[in-house]
This record gives sequence, structure tokens and C-alpha cells, in this order.
Amino acid sequence: MTVGRPLPYGDPAHLAAHQFLVEEAALLDAADYAGWLGLLCEDISYVMPVRVTTARGADFDSLADMGHFDEDMYALRKRVQRLATDHAWTEDPPSRTRHFVTNVRTFRDEGDLRVESALLLFRSRGDTREASLISAGRTDLLRATPDGLRLAGRTIIVDESVLRTQNLAVFL
Amino acid sequence: MLDLASVLGDVRRGMIPAHVYADPEIFAAERDRLFARSWVFVAHESEIPDPGDYVVRRVLADSFIVARDETGVVRVMFNMCLHRGMQVCRAEMGNASHFRCPYHAWTYRNDGRLAGLPFHEEAYGGEDGFARAGQALLPAPSMGTHNGLIFISGDSDAPALSDYLGDFAFYLDFYTRQSPAGVELRGPQRWRIKANWKIGAENFAGDSYHTPHTHASVVDIGLFREPKASKRKEGALYQAGPGAGTTYKLPPAGNEHSALADQLRYVGYPDAMIPAMTEAWSDRQRALVAESGFMPSAATLFPNLSFVHNWPQVDADGTVAPFVSLRQWQPVSERETEVLSWFAVDAAAPEDFKRRSYKAYLMCFGISGMFEQDDVENWVSITDMAAGSMARRLTLNSRMGLTSDGKPLKPPLATFAGPGVAYQGFGEYGQRHWLAMWSDCLAGDAP
Repeated sequence: MTVGRPLPYGDPAHLAAHQFLVEEAALLDAADYAGWLGLLCEDISYVMPVRVTTARGADFDSLADMGHFDEDMYALRKRVQRLATDHAWTEDPPSRTRHFVTNVRTFRDEGDLRVESALLLFRSRGDTREASLISAGRTDLLRATPDGLRLAGRTIIVDESVLRTQNLAVFL
Repeated sequence: MLDLASVLGDVRRGMIPAHVYADPEIFAAERDRLFARSWVFVAHESEIPDPGDYVVRRVLADSFIVARDETGVVRVMFNMCLHRGMQVCRAEMGNASHFRCPYHAWTYRNDGRLAGLPFHEEAYGGEDGFARAGQALLPAPSMGTHNGLIFISGDSDAPALSDYLGDFAFYLDFYTRQSPAGVELRGPQRWRIKANWKIGAENFAGDSYHTPHTHASVVDIGLFREPKASKRKEGALYQAGPGAGTTYKLPPAGNEHSALADQLRYVGYPDAMIPAMTEAWSDRQRALVAESGFMPSAATLFPNLSFVHNWPQVDADGTVAPFVSLRQWQPVSERETEVLSWFAVDAAAPEDFKRRSYKAYLMCFGISGMFEQDDVENWVSITDMAAGSMARRLTLNSRMGLTSDGKPLKPPLATFAGPGVAYQGFGEYGQRHWLAMWSDCLAGDAP
């Protein structure tokens, strides 16, 4: 995982990274998925490994070869295209989501920024179902481009081995 | 008060009392009469390849350790200490030579035998007070394997697994024996949905009718070319032994000598895999795909193990890649199900194929899959509605393909290469086949 010390909170690079994550969350909560795709690098790797319950000392607690997501730009574009069709029933009516992003730490990683954050996703559907919560840690790779920071990589470490949400028709 | 005979009578004529999808009394009957004695899938041998490897799986409330012991034998053991009942293994996977109970340190070998307990002499007076010989974690009452799939039954007099699988074993090979090397399973993804477990099992058993509409979005975006209604209704629906499933009708192959290879290439299998697939399958299995052009897609093995085989487009260049998934509908309550969804791939397949196939799986099925997302939305909503009092006045029509006097609307396919009975076109034959088995279980006495 991350090596070295995080940048001081007053560091402009940290402030820019933190703002990036907050702006990104605002796009996701507004279901502006086309706008969200615009924040991603073409070579993005977007991964959410399956978390498992293992004994202390087992030296792994997630699966190396199975994820809930393991996406490249083609796959993410397809997901966004699907949500834009008239037939993505699971999000019509749409969920109400709130991405809470906190515990942000920024590290210099060669030319890029490595940003760790904690995410709590609240998701409410309809009027009778219990809302769901997904808690996860994220490690992001942010790359400086002429258009500003862009997301080049994201690894989502979810805090449940058995997720309590009906699907992942949402992004984390 | 539940009138079970009336419910089963309705179900047997294809009219399903809606409350069965959210009824605690039905759920109790399923637990006591169905899951207590059916053959239930717990794991695949590829998940525990080495001595000491284990996974922990449940059948309803019962937790089992599925372990490969030091001699390589697969064991399925009830995860409860003989002394005070603590779970002896609280991880879901790993490698261990022994399982030690955290409560009083009774310790078991990975074949289940009690290896030792503290102060045997002082506490029990040695063998006289507690004879260690023959003590072992309770084994599953019956256990069997087929193509590496490990099943258990709560009935110690269960029929042999091979007898139970019967004609469905023919279809299992398309998912779990694509070469003599067999498949390897990855995962599972696990998540809980507020849906009754039967709905998914029935869906995979034969619901080709939902595909064009529920999954319209994946056609809209060009992810999967097949589910258009015009194509889906050409598929054959088969019922065989304790299983049932759907197929897609592929375009006619050109040359009869290369028909199997052509059909396998059409769904994205690389040439490197085709000789082994040809070798692994029987003449009849090859004929199903090559001559009839029916490619297996979804299926359910009663009670709660389903399969899917689709071939979406996995990149912007139009590359088509097939994938296989096994999925289990693990009941939590009458209104909640844990889904376990595995990616399965031929163990001998080239690595680049495995990567493409894995990507195809993730885009289509599992918790983030673009097919599965919309399926689950339906199933959660059905369960929600089934829990109310109006649902007790409604019987759901599951008679598609039957005339008013209960005869098939059209004859079964005369030339279908596979065993069992098959019909071409839409019809709820597979669901009724599954529901007939369900009814038989619930009509029986609790063991």
C-alpha cells in the first residue's frame, strides 16, 4: 500500500486532490455519469476486490482473482451507456445516493498523487425498502493532465464480505 | 393457517399462490422437508486444491467446513464443537492442519477427527471418562461429487448423487467439463438480496420470456447480441432429471464437419480450446451444439444451484467472449437470500481467454453484472408484494405453453439431441418442472 508520509493538509496538491474527490462525489450523487466519465483517464483501472473473512495471520483478506468490479474504460462506458437507456430498470426510479468522502490522505507517488480516502455510500430506493450502506476504503491514483487532475486508478476495499445491497448499479 | 395441500394443488396446475414467495410457514416447510434432505451444492474441488485448504459454507443455518484433508480426501464437517457447540472455524477460507475450538481448545484434524483436548486425564479421568477414539466433528450425512462439484444431503439414506443428477448430468458438462481438465471456480461474490430464494431458481430453470424485456438495456448498448425476442424464442427449453434450462439457437453452421468448431467460435471460444472441448463431450453432447445449434445458456439444478453461459462483447473492437457462472440461491429467510456467484472457467484454457471470460462475467453477472442488476430488481419487488394480504388472493399464472386442459400447446422437439424433454419457443416448462419437484418435497414428511 502507501509508503511515505502524507502531504500536510495545507499542501496545494492535497487540497487539489481532496477537492477532486468531493467534486467527483457531487457528480455521482447528481447521477451525472457522463460528467463522471470525463474525470477518468482512458487507461483507468477500477477495481473492487471481493473481501473475505480469514484467520488473523492468513496474509490475505481479499481475493486476488475475483472482484465485484474489475473495469477498464470500455466496461465503465458500457455501464454508463446502460444507465442512460430507457431499460435500466434497477435504477428507474433511481436510487438516492450520498457519497460521503472523508479521511483523505495524499501522497506523492512519482509524478502522480496517491490518495487514500474513506467512503460511506448511502443508498435509498423506493419507499418501503431499507436503505443500504456500503463502507469502503479507496486508494486512488490521480494524474495531472492539461485539463486538471484525472483518475487513473481506483482500488476499492469494501468493509463487508457479504454486501447488503441488492446490486452495484452504482459507482463507489 | 397454511393449507399446504391446497397450495401444492394450485402449484401443480401451474397457478402459484403469490404468498409462497414471502410466507414464513412455507419457508419452515422448505427447511424441514426440502433442504433437510435434498442434495445441495456446497463447493467445488478447485476451491480447495491443496491438503489443508478449506472453505466454510452454509446450508440454511447449518455451517459446514469443506476441507481437503492431509491425504487429499474432501471432507464436509458440521462446524460445531462436540463439547459446547462453538464454531471451530470462524474464517470462510484458508489452509489449516487442525481446527481448534476457541472455547476450551478441543482440537480437530482437518479430516474431522478429534486430535486432543486439554487436561484429558485431570478433567475426565482419561479414556474412562471420555473416550477420544472415534470422536469427530459430525460429517455431512451424505456427500457426493460430480465434475468436482461437492454436494451434501441431510438425508443419510439419500440416493447416490449420480442417480439424483440423472439426465441433468448431460447438461452439467457444458458448464463444468469443457475439457478433461475440468473447471476452476473463482469467488464467490456474496451479497444479500431481499428476495425469496425460489424466484431466481425458477428464473434460471426456463425463463427465456423475460430476457428480451428485462435485459433490453444490454441489447441497447450492444453488449450482448442474442437476447432480442426474435432470437430468444428460437431457443430450446429442456427439462431433464432434477434440472431444466434454456438454450440459444445459433445461426446455422456452414459445414457439417466443422459445425461444432464453428458454433464454439461463434460464441468466442478460441481455436486452442476447441479440440479439448470436442474430446470432453460425447457424441450426443457435440450434436446438441453442432447439429441442433442449441447452445446452453441458463439452467437450474434443483433446488438452488443455477448456471449461466453467455457470450457478450468485451471490448470496443467487438471481441466476443463466453463465460460460465455458477450461482447459489442460499435462503436466509422467506424474504431474504444470500447470492453466491462464482466465475467458472476451463482450468486448461489459455490465460488470455481466462482474462476475457472473467471480464465478460463481471460485466454481465454477479453483484455488478448488467444482467443481474435488473433481475434482482424484479425479484426484490415480487417478494415485497408477496408479503401482503392481497397476495393471498392472487394466484400467479405459470401455465405458459399449456392449453386450458393442461396439454402442451405444441409437441416437444422430436430431434433434440439431449436427454429429457425439450420445447422450442417460449413456455414455462422448466419453471413448472422445478415447481413439481418443490411440490413433491413439500408434500413429503419431514425426515
